[in-house]
Amino acid sequence: MCRCLAKMAASCKTCVRTALLDAFAFTRGALSSRVAVRTYASDSRDGEGMAHFGFQTVPEGEKAEKVYKVFESVAQKYDIMNDAMSLGVHRLWKDALLRIMNPLPGCRLLDVAGGTGDISFRFLEYVRTQQERLRRRAMRMHQTPSWQEIAASYTSEQATVLGGSRAVVCDINKEMLKVGRQRAKDLGCGTELSWVVGDAEELPFEDDQFDIYSIAFGIRNVTRIDKALQEAHRVLKPGGRFLCLEFSHVSNPVLSRIYDAYSFQLIPVMGEVIAGDWNSYQYLVESIRRFPDQETFSHMMEDAGFFSVRFTNLTAGVVAVHSGFKL
Amino acid sequence: MSCVACAVCVACAVCVACAVCVACAVCDVDGRYISEHVRIADLFRTVVADMAAVLRGLQAVRVLRGFCRGELVGVSVHKYRSAHRGVHSCGLLYSENSTSVSSSVHQHPQAQAPEQDPSSMTSEQVGPQPNTSYANQNGEQSEDYETEDQLQARILNAALEFVLQHGWSAEAIAAGAETLGLSSASSEMFPNGAGDLVLHFVVKCNNQLVQILAEQHKRVQLGEAEPKKTAEFLREAVETRLRMLVPYIDTWPQAMSILLLPHNIPESLKHLSTLVDDIWYYAGDRSTDMNWYTRRATLTGLYNTTELVMLQDTSVDFQDTWAFLDNRIRDIVNMANTAKQVQSTGEAVVQGLVGAAVTLKNLTGINQKR
Repeated sequence: MCRCLAKMAASCKTCVRTALLDAFAFTRGALSSRVAVRTYASDSRDGEGMAHFGFQTVPEGEKAEKVYKVFESVAQKYDIMNDAMSLGVHRLWKDALLRIMNPLPGCRLLDVAGGTGDISFRFLEYVRTQQERLRRRAMRMHQTPSWQEIAASYTSEQATVLGGSRAVVCDINKEMLKVGRQRAKDLGCGTELSWVVGDAEELPFEDDQFDIYSIAFGIRNVTRIDKALQEAHRVLKPGGRFLCLEFSHVSNPVLSRIYDAYSFQLIPVMGEVIAGDWNSYQYLVESIRRFPDQETFSHMMEDAGFFSVRFTNLTAGVVAVHSGFKL
Repeated sequence: MSCVACAVCVACAVCVACAVCVACAVCDVDGRYISEHVRIADLFRTVVADMAAVLRGLQAVRVLRGFCRGELVGVSVHKYRSAHRGVHSCGLLYSENSTSVSSSVHQHPQAQAPEQDPSSMTSEQVGPQPNTSYANQNGEQSEDYETEDQLQARILNAALEFVLQHGWSAEAIAAGAETLGLSSASSEMFPNGAGDLVLHFVVKCNNQLVQILAEQHKRVQLGEAEPKKTAEFLREAVETRLRMLVPYIDTWPQAMSILLLPHNIPESLKHLSTLVDDIWYYAGDRSTDMNWYTRRATLTGLYNTTELVMLQDTSVDFQDTWAFLDNRIRDIVNMANTAKQVQSTGEAVVQGLVGAAVTLKNLTGINQKR
């Protein structure tokens, strides 16, 4: 009890201190982050060997470690915090990503920074319904299949529940993967879902492996975004699609003010109350501000070699889905 | 009743009812139903029944009225669709005059029709490697690279093979992409999915037709062939174009419904109007007055109705369809002649009336100048 109180008191002190500093730094930081984004357009580096960690600048080597620690500490409460912070809207965002993805049965998905597996579960569900729809349509058109066709359908890959689709969840953080694997076990997913530990800048896969590469709310945590994009280009099959769901720039000034206020005033508080971790969620909102805006990120994707790059704003720019093809 | 039919025609130039008012679509001139066993006929049965009764009696006058209103809708704006869907030119060279099939460049070239031959693309690679060779400094097309539009055209061409199996849909595009060695995820490059596939096919057929017509035109100019009469020429052009649908005739109703979706209507109308314009150009039409509109409106109606009849035709080699086409063309020719007669009669009548009025004025003494 006393320990709790003491901890709360201490955290309150740090709260107040960081809150004051942040309130002061907020305006400065917000302005400078925008300027920084404009002048150093293509990567998150600020000079030689330095990277952004929220509004701080740290040596590149340290950023990965710090991000790892952030996610290690939030892993257990990750899903709950997502629901709390976005008021459940993150589910709609992820559903929108799947609708944009529109995978057909037979597609192989690489879900990078997949962590707890949200995108992969949705992907498998989507493919399952698509396969059923296609099968029903085939049945309708093909009222009397011959016995040979029926026999063939038993053996072919097409006939499986998912039509040969598979999803691989790759994350740098073992804790997040553990949480995800537990969820998969609860849902009863089988061999179609794999869990791999890997760094987005150096994926442990061969070239030309996947039909779809998706990274949801992960790419802003990567130290060198251009390297991650190049790796994505490498592991995709020709014709494969790169999809990125990420927080982005709100252009409407009124909404932007409300959004900033919500992000900086409420989210770290929620983080402290629900997950007991003010700093991680402070990092979260700061890293969102540091991420390049929609157009800049599109240019980065084109630099990495993607074609037909388009983006869709969701919720007025709070979140954007970028899509590009490896042709 | 005829007003109702014409009113429907005002709504949409592609609408069958519009064609119905020009020429009895579903019902032959003799009044018998060609398409008893087709659901489309049911839609227009009431309209058609009335019109068939009135048709012969009021043919010329009603058609003239129909033209006046039809002409307002039959003209569509020729728009250029951007051949570059927001492509940034990073690492890719492309010419300004893209020769992709998906752009509809409307030309009346002296020598040849717009060249649409995506199969002539030489390379399988679509690499974004930066090219610093001398030959490409003007931004001209190098042989090794193809633009995104050309790749899309290739995918859609490959997808046409799978239309019978999957229908006009995104699955057909995905299957087509797979035959080219691309992942099925690349079918999402076409946000309009089935619409893109159908429009690509329509453009492809139109370009094929224009090529054929241009070749014939060249042969006539060189004196190797006899120039055809207008009615004959139109008949052959429409038949040639409709025969291109024969391999896909089973799924063509689905394609037509896709073309009638609201977001596809501007495109499909544009392609239809350029088709009709091209046919009339090669038929020798150089008119600059109201005839330009009336001719295109009639041909649009003719083409649409014949297409519909073809959908439900079960005769050998679509003989009934071509018979229908012959009858409609004969009707049009008759109407044109009747229209001329009516006009000259009208002029004569007016002159007579004016003469009678002057005589009357003279008799009663109003005309006297004091």
